[in-house]
Amino acid sequence: MWVLIVIGVVVLLAVVFIYNSLIAKKNQVKNVFGTIDALLKKRYDLLGNLIATVKGYMQHEKNLLREITEMRAKAVSGRMSDDEQVELDNKLSKMLGGIMVAIENYPDLKANENFMHLQRTLNELEEQISAARRAYNAAVTTYNNAVEMFPTNLAASLMGYKTKNVFEISPEQRENVDADKIFKS
Amino acid sequence: MKTLEDFTEFYNSTFSADLNVLEQERRKIAFKLLCVIAAVVCIAGVCLLIWRTRNSIHPVLIAPAVLCLSAGVVIYDFMTKRYVARFKSLVIGKIVHFIDENLNYDAEEYIDSATFMLSKIFTTKPNRYKGDDLVWGKTGATEIKFSEIKAEHESGSGKNRRHHTIFKGLFFIGDFNKHFTCETIVLPDTAEKLFGHFGQKLQSMNIFRGQLIKLEDPEFENYFVVYGDDQIQARYILSTSLMERIVEFKKKTGRVIYLSFVGSKVFVAVSYTKSLFEPRLFRTLLDFEPVREYFEDLQLAIGIVDDLNLNTRIWSKQ
Repeated sequence: MWVLIVIGVVVLLAVVFIYNSLIAKKNQVKNVFGTIDALLKKRYDLLGNLIATVKGYMQHEKNLLREITEMRAKAVSGRMSDDEQVELDNKLSKMLGGIMVAIENYPDLKANENFMHLQRTLNELEEQISAARRAYNAAVTTYNNAVEMFPTNLAASLMGYKTKNVFEISPEQRENVDADKIFKS
Repeated sequence: MKTLEDFTEFYNSTFSADLNVLEQERRKIAFKLLCVIAAVVCIAGVCLLIWRTRNSIHPVLIAPAVLCLSAGVVIYDFMTKRYVARFKSLVIGKIVHFIDENLNYDAEEYIDSATFMLSKIFTTKPNRYKGDDLVWGKTGATEIKFSEIKAEHESGSGKNRRHHTIFKGLFFIGDFNKHFTCETIVLPDTAEKLFGHFGQKLQSMNIFRGQLIKLEDPEFENYFVVYGDDQIQARYILSTSLMERIVEFKKKTGRVIYLSFVGSKVFVAVSYTKSLFEPRLFRTLLDFEPVREYFEDLQLAIGIVDDLNLNTRIWSKQ
């Protein structure tokens, strides 16, 4: 009798442990995704300042600046699916990279203190976004392992949990930034 | 950064002349010390001979033997102290200035135990703590400070008294090039190496540390285990390039190293078994080998700034 009770308690504890750990892993993924969102929003705010600062200097890249302004407006409006948002963010990252390279041609701009500060802040933000993406991938990997490995996969399938995708960049983003190409397009 | 070739040139052109002066002093002291040691050995030998011939330990003879030994120790200490101070300011101080003239050196000072504990690398509080050879100043854009440290914990009393060395080696503090508010600790990985996946599970249950942070770089993960209180900020600090740099640094030193990132500072502890930057009284100073060793040990510490790329200030912290 006692043996059965002990086995019952052990099984119950294991179920509770598995259930809680799965929920914790799912929430961790959600939490990190939230941070990425917050960081991206911060980047949109900074973009407004950056464009205002460089507009007066950059005569040859007017079109590019207009395009970035439009993209930013679209992103801030919030009427996009997750996939669209990720795609837009990727495009923005690429264009920002291009702007930073183009700045080499504008000595006045490089000397502008306000711009220097913005550039530093943007660098920092890009690094933070990249850190958050890595954290997201780590959280998703832990979550996916739990969803697919035995015995947690049994509980996961009962709870309707499915594996999630990690952040991946598009093949064209894997190539090096080519500033000339960006500005000509 | 100064290379060994630069140092060899400096040694041949100017440094060896200074060393020649110090070498004369070393020889004199070494000779005097040999005389003292010979005297102590003679007196102790005579006492031993008398004991052996009489076949019993005579209490009257114990006193001079003990007295002679203690006097020998005191004289040795007194005679070497001045030489060690001269050696440190002339040799170690000069090498420090050769590597970077903006750095300062004090042979007596060291990083205090409160700062040592602030790094959060070690959880045991030392009750025997000493150090020397403090170097501090700004190299490039980075404030640094490092010294030799020996931190021990003594427990029990009487026959059960035990010493446990918490850390012995070089302890480095540098201003980190990014702002952060979290705490991230990088420790040598032993559990995962020994027990694999189960070891990682054990590490995640370490109640003395924060959350386990699993990073993507397999080589880095092979050498280190990372704990922290913020998964994202820890990755912000430990960027993929910094992880690579830490692995390179670990391979270059070939020593056990610990790192932590606390209060916008980076703490690096490099374990050594030998005592650092100490003169060897019974070995000539004119030999390049020991001098090269001092240079390499100092360069290793000051070079942490370049190894970890701390002078790159492209983020909002300047």
